[in-house]
Amino acid sequence: MASEQQSNIDTMTTLLQTGRMKRRTFLERTAALGISGSAAAAFLAACGGSAPATSTSNGPVTLKMWDYFNPAGSGYLGLLSEYSKANPSIKFQRTVIPFADLKQKLIQGVASKQLPDIVVIDNPDHSAFAALGVLADLTDRVKTWGKADEYFPGPWKSTVWKDKNYGIPNNSNCLALYYNKDLFQKAGLTPPTNWDDFHSTATKLSKNGTYGLSMSLVKSEEGTFQFLPFLWEAGADLDTIDSPAAVTALQYLVTLVKEKALSSEALNWTQQDAITQFIAGKAAMCINGPWNLTPTKTGAKFAWGIVPLPKGQQAASILGGENWAIPVTSPYVNEAWNFLRWTQETAQFKSYIIPDNRLPSNKTFAADPAFHQDPNIGVFADALQSAKPRAYGPNYPKISNAVQQAFQEAITGQMTAQAALTQAAQTIKPLMTS
Amino acid sequence: MLLSTTAIPPTEVSKPSTALHPKRRRLGRTLGPYLFLLPATLFLAVFLLYPICTMLLFSFEQVNIGTLLTGNIPFVGFDNYRTILSDATFRSSLGVSLLFTLACLVFQFCIGFLLALLFNRPLPLVGVMRGSVMIAWMLPIVVSGTIFKWMLQSDAGIINYALQSIGLIHSPIQWLSDPKVALWGVIIANIWIGIPFNMSLLLAGLQGISAALYEAAVVDGANGINRFFRITLPLMRSTSLTVLMLGFIYTLNVFDLIYVMTGGGPVNATEVMPLYAYRIAFGEFDLGSGSAVATLMFLLLLVVSALYLFLIRREEAS
Repeated sequence: MASEQQSNIDTMTTLLQTGRMKRRTFLERTAALGISGSAAAAFLAACGGSAPATSTSNGPVTLKMWDYFNPAGSGYLGLLSEYSKANPSIKFQRTVIPFADLKQKLIQGVASKQLPDIVVIDNPDHSAFAALGVLADLTDRVKTWGKADEYFPGPWKSTVWKDKNYGIPNNSNCLALYYNKDLFQKAGLTPPTNWDDFHSTATKLSKNGTYGLSMSLVKSEEGTFQFLPFLWEAGADLDTIDSPAAVTALQYLVTLVKEKALSSEALNWTQQDAITQFIAGKAAMCINGPWNLTPTKTGAKFAWGIVPLPKGQQAASILGGENWAIPVTSPYVNEAWNFLRWTQETAQFKSYIIPDNRLPSNKTFAADPAFHQDPNIGVFADALQSAKPRAYGPNYPKISNAVQQAFQEAITGQMTAQAALTQAAQTIKPLMTS
Repeated sequence: MLLSTTAIPPTEVSKPSTALHPKRRRLGRTLGPYLFLLPATLFLAVFLLYPICTMLLFSFEQVNIGTLLTGNIPFVGFDNYRTILSDATFRSSLGVSLLFTLACLVFQFCIGFLLALLFNRPLPLVGVMRGSVMIAWMLPIVVSGTIFKWMLQSDAGIINYALQSIGLIHSPIQWLSDPKVALWGVIIANIWIGIPFNMSLLLAGLQGISAALYEAAVVDGANGINRFFRITLPLMRSTSLTVLMLGFIYTLNVFDLIYVMTGGGPVNATEVMPLYAYRIAFGEFDLGSGSAVATLMFLLLLVVSALYLFLIRREEAS
């Protein structure tokens, strides 16, 4: 035991000398060694990210936390204060990071060994960070917890990488079709349910400076997010991106732009820009997410509604939203996990997800009447059941870039849909990992 | 010469005391200047030298999240450079960057020069006008970028509306959504932002030219064109060189404006080198290759700076 303790101290000294452990942490941990050698060993193992960590002291623990919820809803902030009230030994130190900077900040955090204990991460990035070894493996804890089955497959899958769990869903969103009821009524049309109707409706409604449809096809993840449902609806996926079905999907959009049912400005529109066009009455339909319900409610001076995305060969929607994760460097994996588990209970769901106008990732919660009082929210809540995550592994950012390049090349007419997708397939195929 | 003679007396006047004193004083005199230099040196070392060295080092290493996390960062020689140089997107971004920079420089400089000449005259309200032109320089880039993005919209933008109203164009120009035009859309926005900077520096240069020269020229019978080409232009040469040099550095590094307006698209039509570097470093987690791009940009700027120094020396010698 004594020699084991000595070797632990030696390891920590090395960590300290190489600047990989802070002085204070070192002191805390050597003090802890005096109390319990095995506890400290577990602690060190936790730093390596293998064995579950246990807390060494009963003193107050401050969990550092990063997210990009700005402004954060009162429900979300309530989670933190309520948990601290119920567990006085746990304090939170929350840092808000702008959405566009979170990935960069995590990379910097890795470089400077300054990662938080909890991070709220955009779900398409989750598997990339998991694969790179940034996030703690929570597989055993999730198994003991035993609630994995209660989640929609999409959100849940986004937290998994190579059959291991690296987090749990925080909240979800997906895409649906906003439509201007006034314009539809005037033209005597009903909201489209399939691609053929969608196309003819969009063309018919394009007149007097109004476009039939607005959406985002910008050169960023937002563009990919809006493009992928078309690919899936056509019956293709990223591993079959040069298939005839995929070509149909892209050609469908190319035609919409060519026939001026969708403005070519969509190439520069973010999703925010797309909804602005819709609210301004410049587009009769708009593909967008539930986060724009409130802006539309306050901004639109016309009657509007929401329907699911029109079906192609099949119906599809794409999953967005955030997940909770614990960086592998955290010395407080247990404390952080206890908190994450607690946020998934019914009471917390009622005090966070509903008041903050978010959508749950949990099947039982999604069935809550709260989501069906407003039929518009109901459409999104229902679409979640089949919404697909972007779980394509660590190379996803590169894959996504190739997809953006392909749809932009075809829509600007630089290449045919077929040629653009063939080129994309050459880039994407070696990047896909099973 | 004068300085060194005046500097000597203190030692001669100093009272004789222990042997250590003059020595210490001599030490103080040699160290003194360095102590004064210390803050600036430290500043440069911490905020310039260190990041540049890190960038250089990173560009020869395989730096990504995985290797950063384990701390075991392999040295890969010129692999990162080979990767980016074989990437067609990088070569296109180099071309885009050069075209963007040169086009912006030419227009910013010419328009800035004309405005400087105008504001150098004793016109009424010249101060107010000079001040209002500076607004373009003072606005946050994100704001100007967003405004230009709106103005350049093909169907609802004011620029197409204006051009169509006066009959210059018949169908709307797809300023930012046509890959063949998009770069020019971004260039227009950047020219507008850069004009005040060029104008104010050139105006300062113009004000430094002695009025007596022009008076003498008038007496000798030189007209306005002669005065401009024989007096103004030659005397503005070093100011112009400085303005162009600073403009080059500034424009080559433009990131935020393009990021806001097009994000580098459509396709890669407006992806300049800084955007390319950002995308591969922070979008695709390859910090090594990102650093290699930054290093190449740094070298390019170094070459341009050397050229500038050479030209300015020659200017001073003549």
